[in-house]
Amino acid sequence: MDVGSGRRLLLIAVFATLLARVSTAHHSTAEFDYTKQVTIKGVVKEVQWTNPHSFIQLMVDGSGDEKVQWSVEIGSPSLNVNMGWRKNSVKAGDVVTMELSPARNGKPYGTLRVLTFADGQQLNGVAARVRGPAPAPPKEP
Amino acid sequence: MTRAWFTACLLLALTITGTSSNAAGATKAASGPDAVLGIWVPDAAPRQLLTVERKPPPLNAAAAKLYAARKRQFAAGDRSYDPTTWCAGPGMPRAMTMPVAFEIRRDGNHLAFIHGWYRWFRAVDLGGPDVNDPPLPLTMGFPVGRWEGDTLVIRTVGLTDATVMDANGLPHSDLLVLTERLRVLPDGRLEDRMTVEDPDTFTRPWETMLTFHRDATARVPDDVCPDRLAAGEPAEPPVATRREAAPPPPAIQAVPSAAPAPRLTGIWEPKTFGFMVTGAPLSKAGQEIVDRNAAAMAGGRIMQTAWVSCRPGAVSTMTMPREKIVILQSPDEITLLFEMPRMVRRIRMNAIHPAKLKPGYVGDSVGRWEGGTLVVDTIGFNGFAELDARGQPTSPQLHTVERFTPAADGSIDIEVTITDPEYYEQPFTIKRSWKKSASRHPFEYDCMENPRQEDFENAYYVRERYRPVCMRVEGEGMTLSKMVCGKPEE
Repeated sequence: MDVGSGRRLLLIAVFATLLARVSTAHHSTAEFDYTKQVTIKGVVKEVQWTNPHSFIQLMVDGSGDEKVQWSVEIGSPSLNVNMGWRKNSVKAGDVVTMELSPARNGKPYGTLRVLTFADGQQLNGVAARVRGPAPAPPKEP
Repeated sequence: MTRAWFTACLLLALTITGTSSNAAGATKAASGPDAVLGIWVPDAAPRQLLTVERKPPPLNAAAAKLYAARKRQFAAGDRSYDPTTWCAGPGMPRAMTMPVAFEIRRDGNHLAFIHGWYRWFRAVDLGGPDVNDPPLPLTMGFPVGRWEGDTLVIRTVGLTDATVMDANGLPHSDLLVLTERLRVLPDGRLEDRMTVEDPDTFTRPWETMLTFHRDATARVPDDVCPDRLAAGEPAEPPVATRREAAPPPPAIQAVPSAAPAPRLTGIWEPKTFGFMVTGAPLSKAGQEIVDRNAAAMAGGRIMQTAWVSCRPGAVSTMTMPREKIVILQSPDEITLLFEMPRMVRRIRMNAIHPAKLKPGYVGDSVGRWEGGTLVVDTIGFNGFAELDARGQPTSPQLHTVERFTPAADGSIDIEVTITDPEYYEQPFTIKRSWKKSASRHPFEYDCMENPRQEDFENAYYVRERYRPVCMRVEGEGMTLSKMVCGKPEE
């Protein structure tokens, strides 16, 4: 970690602490640890385009043949639409990578910062508001 | 129990007194296009939609299989295919099949259906072109209307397939285009003739028809579905029956003012989202509650307030509004339709509060113009509301005075003075500001759509009333999630 990213992480931690005391659209953000980052890859089982929060259920390889089902909060319908999502942006069966901030309770549960498709396209989740969005793709020379 | 809901309807009367040519929701019979305005009661509220030829809708094979499965579910006592059973949005045309009254109000090119079930409304844009590329399918979609003579034609797209078309679970897809033709029949009833086009569900377009009648005793109350579930009652109330007339709230005649009142009509949005009320002069009792809430949150628990439990009070629209607000204005009433928290507030102009008030979430609001400022006085709260995300409490003694003043830059400056001697040492004032929205439609906030199990595993209930009855439980392996409703906990 370089100095710049360390400072950014500190800023994130301060911001997250502030946010954790208040609320997002619906409930407190205190249940997630925004200082942590977890990256998971798997197959989308279900997309819940719902209020107060939208979710993706992701089946991730565990030990042996076991699959672990992750519940990932992606935002809310109005928020995600403003971030560029549409209802069919992610579908059951898609293989995606998700970078998220995990729940404090240690369960396979988190809030999405950025989702990356197999072809490299990305969508920001609600945690991008706290941790910062995915970097913009490099411009064509 | 069966009549309790309707008794509440009567007591929570929100009457429109007086009419004018432009008055939204005239209760007296009007002629011309405005004849469709006012309060309407369903003639039948059918469980099952049929075509106008009284035939089953022309489902394609896949949809017919799904509908048959839902009918079997219903026979087995499982109605989980219908989101209204856990108080989520009814969608269209399901909302028009429910056994509750609704009201149609209009102000210029803004027309609203105020449905008597759980604060749902439809804001119809009468001025613009059809919507053909909705950003996201919603419960009530994106309705656009126009007049064809005295017939109101409403075309709605962007209706989410998460809802069902009738109580039996008639399916539809996100491609549904619903065209309603509403007119008043010679016998005084309202006819809503609907054309259903959905190539993913039906083999051809088809028509259905619903009719409604006027009833001088009918009211469109503030209806809070989760409270019915908590009381062990069904989410959808029983079919209406004739009942005694409820006395209208007292009113005084409008006094013509020297200057015309400012126009607040249109779609607005808060300039900023204020989720905290700072500097409130908490009393000892108020401070104890706030400290208790803070300790629970510090312990990592998720605080369940009236807002989070999907039954916010009107004071939440004063302290924590977000997203769009539709305002319809007439000399006798100013109607505020809030997207989030979803709520309908009715401000009776130049009226006085009834001597006896049944406490409720929205209270009783009366308004008057003081020069260019709209002053709204609200009492009759039930004490189930918190001012902000810290859970600063309110009691039934809550009294609010809002002052809405149009500003030079086109926004509305709002001052809210809050008085509640049970929890605050003295009255205090907060400021908010709304700006005009560029949107033609409010978006939608269906708070009860997805009560996830995780939200309640480590919850701190500020009030016992806020405990959930239904929650979504994730399925093991590839089994999909499902809603599970249980008896309310003691």
